[in-house]
Amino acid sequence: MDEDKRIILKDINVRYRGADDFQLKHVNATVTAGKIIGIIGNSHSGKSTLCRVLGGVIPNIISAEIDGTCNLLGYSPKDDWQAFNASTGVVLQNPAGQLSGLADTVADELAFDLVNQGLPASFINKRVANVAAQMGLTAQLGQSPESLSGGQMQRLAIGTAIVTQPKILIMDDPTSEMDPVGRKQFFGWLDTVQDTTVFIVSSEIDDLCEVADSIWILKDGELIVHGSPEKVFNHLSAQWRIPEPTAYQLAQRMNWRLDDNRYPVTSAELKEAFDAQN
Amino acid sequence: MPKIELHHLQFSYPEKSFNLAVENQVFADSMAAIVGQNGAGKSTIFKLLTGLLKATTGTIKVNGTELGELKPADRLKTIGITFQNPDDQLFNATVKREVEWSLSQISSDKAINSQRADQVLEKVGLTEKAEENPYDLSLSERKLLTVATVLAVDPAVYLFDEPMMSLDWPSKQMLTDIFHELSADGHQVITITHDMDWVAAEFSSVAVMEHGRIKFTGAPRELFGDRDLVQRVGLLPPKIMALTQMLGDPKTYLSPEDYQVKHQNM
Repeated sequence: MDEDKRIILKDINVRYRGADDFQLKHVNATVTAGKIIGIIGNSHSGKSTLCRVLGGVIPNIISAEIDGTCNLLGYSPKDDWQAFNASTGVVLQNPAGQLSGLADTVADELAFDLVNQGLPASFINKRVANVAAQMGLTAQLGQSPESLSGGQMQRLAIGTAIVTQPKILIMDDPTSEMDPVGRKQFFGWLDTVQDTTVFIVSSEIDDLCEVADSIWILKDGELIVHGSPEKVFNHLSAQWRIPEPTAYQLAQRMNWRLDDNRYPVTSAELKEAFDAQN
Repeated sequence: MPKIELHHLQFSYPEKSFNLAVENQVFADSMAAIVGQNGAGKSTIFKLLTGLLKATTGTIKVNGTELGELKPADRLKTIGITFQNPDDQLFNATVKREVEWSLSQISSDKAINSQRADQVLEKVGLTEKAEENPYDLSLSERKLLTVATVLAVDPAVYLFDEPMMSLDWPSKQMLTDIFHELSADGHQVITITHDMDWVAAEFSSVAVMEHGRIKFTGAPRELFGDRDLVQRVGLLPPKIMALTQMLGDPKTYLSPEDYQVKHQNM
């Protein structure tokens, strides 16, 4: 397959300045464009560092020792920074920290990158309205970003990341401050995203299993397993200390299995296993 | 068990349309959760309980004594809080000094404070980070540090605002164990959370807030058994119930284990 239709990580090693240990160690993976990758792992597993590498934040904004190859849709963060940057939308762990701080209103914040690109006002207004509707922020367009709740702030950060229609979206724990309904709406929205490769770090295992094509588990900086949610959770080691999806826990307790003898991890698979048993 | 009583409590922020109004509310359970949508008034209640905000009208009593009548040190021993954002309460140069600073508000014995700080840092798994700057810790470690600062003071009532946010699974397990220990030791633990699975599985009582009002207080099984109420106040049932309802079972289950127990006994 063409390099420009894949995301390739080849033997990525990252160490921050002054740190003794590497935060990422020999990370290798290839992703076909358009897939959703759910990234999970405990503290210090390297999830946020991986997001920074995928977004080009390392090495372009945060200086760190990095080797290996990172190639996103044919662009390298070192050699093609402008094109790389234009292809990616990044949502960091602290949403307030990535807002411009210059915008008086949510609408201005959403428009910020588009205005900087010199796009026509009519296009900007239409795009801002569209993104606000997707993120459920239409009623807040005239409010100051500082007046938003934590969950709304996260939705605004996602809005600013998608407003330029990036080909790759990288999100580090984007629902941590959302209430249950907000979280459900977010994952419902994510399920509708098309023609975009998504890397999402989240501890919402159940939601990730519903939307992700692949789950990556990081431990101590290493990508220890990756594959379909069903495959990954059916081969979980207790030593990794990763929680199992609720569907999996229920099926295991009730011994409801799929045709291939595995336990289900999504609600649709649970229904299949339940029907086969009952 | 400490008893918190709120009577005719009213509060509003300047230049905001939000109004909090709590007529009569008693917190007397050892493990109580406060749930509700963003902006429902959950954190405002906590700020009123700790005196960070002053109610326009009404009273807050702990074990019969009005909160405002307590001396500062007694107040710290009565109610302790961890904020949603740990960075709102961390300002010392090292992790250990952060805990010692909290202790210095109630005790001037530096040797004892140092010993106590070591104990609570061990409890939350931060012993190895004791000499680091809090801002060199990960977000989840900073959250655990704020928990340590309150554990050190050991108030009668613990208020935790979204303690699980950004914590990894092992830390969530550890914190849940700590909460149960506190509760078994006669403390009251009141927690704001969006995690309905956790509320369903671990808490004895839950209060639901909406638009500055408390709309429900009772056991999690009672709350999640009332589908209309759950929907009306903008909550979701625990994930186990979303799954069992999808399987055509309308009953209330609080965890996969709860489902298994009920079906083994059938």
